[in-house]
Amino acid sequence: MAKRKSLIKIKPKKYKDGDIVKVSFMVMHPMETGTRKDKKTKQVLPAKYINNVKFAYNGKVITTLNVWETLSTNPVFTTYMKINGKGNLTVNYTDNTGEANEKSKKIKPKG
Amino acid sequence: MKPGIKIVLSLALLSSLSFGGESFAMSDADRAMYTEMLENNPADILVESGNELLEELVGGDAALAAFYKVTEDDLAKYIAGFPRYIEDFKQVVTISQSLQGLMHKHGHKPFKLKSAKMFELSSYVKSIANGENINIDINANKHIKKSYAMGENNYMTPRGGRGLACNSCHSDAVIGTVLRTQPLPDLSSKGVAVAATWPAYRMTKSSLRTLPRRFQGCMKNALLKVIPLGSEEMVALEVYLTHQAKGSEIAIPGLKR
Amino acid sequence: MKRRDFFKHLGSAAVVAATVTPTMSFAAAKQANTISYKNALDAITGGKSAKTSKSVHLKVPEIAENGAVVPVTITVDSPMTDADYVKAIHILVSKNGNARCLDAHLTPANGKAMLATRVKLNGTQDVSAVIALSNGEFLIATQGVKVTIGGCG
Repeated sequence: MAKRKSLIKIKPKKYKDGDIVKVSFMVMHPMETGTRKDKKTKQVLPAKYINNVKFAYNGKVITTLNVWETLSTNPVFTTYMKINGKGNLTVNYTDNTGEANEKSKKIKPKG
Repeated sequence: MKPGIKIVLSLALLSSLSFGGESFAMSDADRAMYTEMLENNPADILVESGNELLEELVGGDAALAAFYKVTEDDLAKYIAGFPRYIEDFKQVVTISQSLQGLMHKHGHKPFKLKSAKMFELSSYVKSIANGENINIDINANKHIKKSYAMGENNYMTPRGGRGLACNSCHSDAVIGTVLRTQPLPDLSSKGVAVAATWPAYRMTKSSLRTLPRRFQGCMKNALLKVIPLGSEEMVALEVYLTHQAKGSEIAIPGLKR
Repeated sequence: MKRRDFFKHLGSAAVVAATVTPTMSFAAAKQANTISYKNALDAITGGKSAKTSKSVHLKVPEIAENGAVVPVTITVDSPMTDADYVKAIHILVSKNGNARCLDAHLTPANGKAMLATRVKLNGTQDVSAVIALSNGEFLIATQGVKVTIGGCG
């Protein structure tokens, strides 16, 4: 299974316990709708799109996204979360072909 | 037709054009939204992957600085001065070309200038100079001087079936005019400062592209013979436009329509 | 947009087209999901009515530079406490083959009810944000987006 390139961004970069920060998850994914054709082979490209994204903070799911093929190629998802102690933010995402991946980022509040 | 009537007609045409443009022009709020998108540019992932590529291939920034014969502290300033004449190459080179040299020196087969990996690698290297101002010096030596003159010539010379030059759509006289619902941009530091904002994520292509690659797309659509990447002429064009954006702050990756 | 309508008609007449001219086989291309706006809205609200509210802030460009990447930002004024929070933010569009784009199921741990993403629009149409509150109510906000196709390359 191809490892996808992805990135989690937290804004602002410095935060402390209790802060509400912006979390963005970006991933390189084609988000094929199933209606497009390959320019060279003239074959219809099968649908391939992310259908589920889960944000979990220290094992507790805080946000679940159900996603359809109508989102842009290389999608970006931005939401907020409340900082509540050291740990990990893990993003699990799956697509309609069964591909599953994970990306995580350390949460280190200061002060 | 009398000259007087001609002028009136063309004026009428111009005003109708600009009116047509206005109804489709984006509002400031819309522009602000697109600027906000820079915060989460999908190309950030690719720039990061370019960083990993550099580490994997040669060991990171230190090896790059050594190759450029500068200290790591001066690396950002040095990169902000590309394209430049490098003695080892005996020619004016872009960042991408210098990276091909770096890869060759470390015993790797260089990435092709058109390859996605080269786009990632060169975008990362240029992003080292983020926050610096473009400091290309076209009077540094005779080689870059010659390249600049050639670039200016390439920019101004009409070519192709329609007799178009870069200048036809990007001269002060027509900047801001709407062509196919998009306003024609000022490529210099007074406008979008292309040299400071490319490589960029191209939304229409859903991928990361370099400036010369964009030139090629423009040439193709304007029915001009496409100048090959890495050729003396293409580098010269980049030299010319980089000089136009001199002093602009580098912010890589950019985000373009 | 006329051209798109034309293709849509072709799609509905796929079977006929395929038998008449083999070159029309491209009409066999099928979108992964086809959900109409009305069906999508009913599926979310369960037939309940959603009312417009000033506390829902839907931000989309009036004119999109490019239909393939249209930024959508939704913010809802909410305390996000266990007693009163936004349960879900849904993004729907009116004219795409599939009206559904994204459902975000939030929890009080989000701290703030906001979601931003980028959608594909196959033409000028409306974008709606449907909000499910923890008390079972639904709110809605809708705005039109003009999609221009142009520019060089």
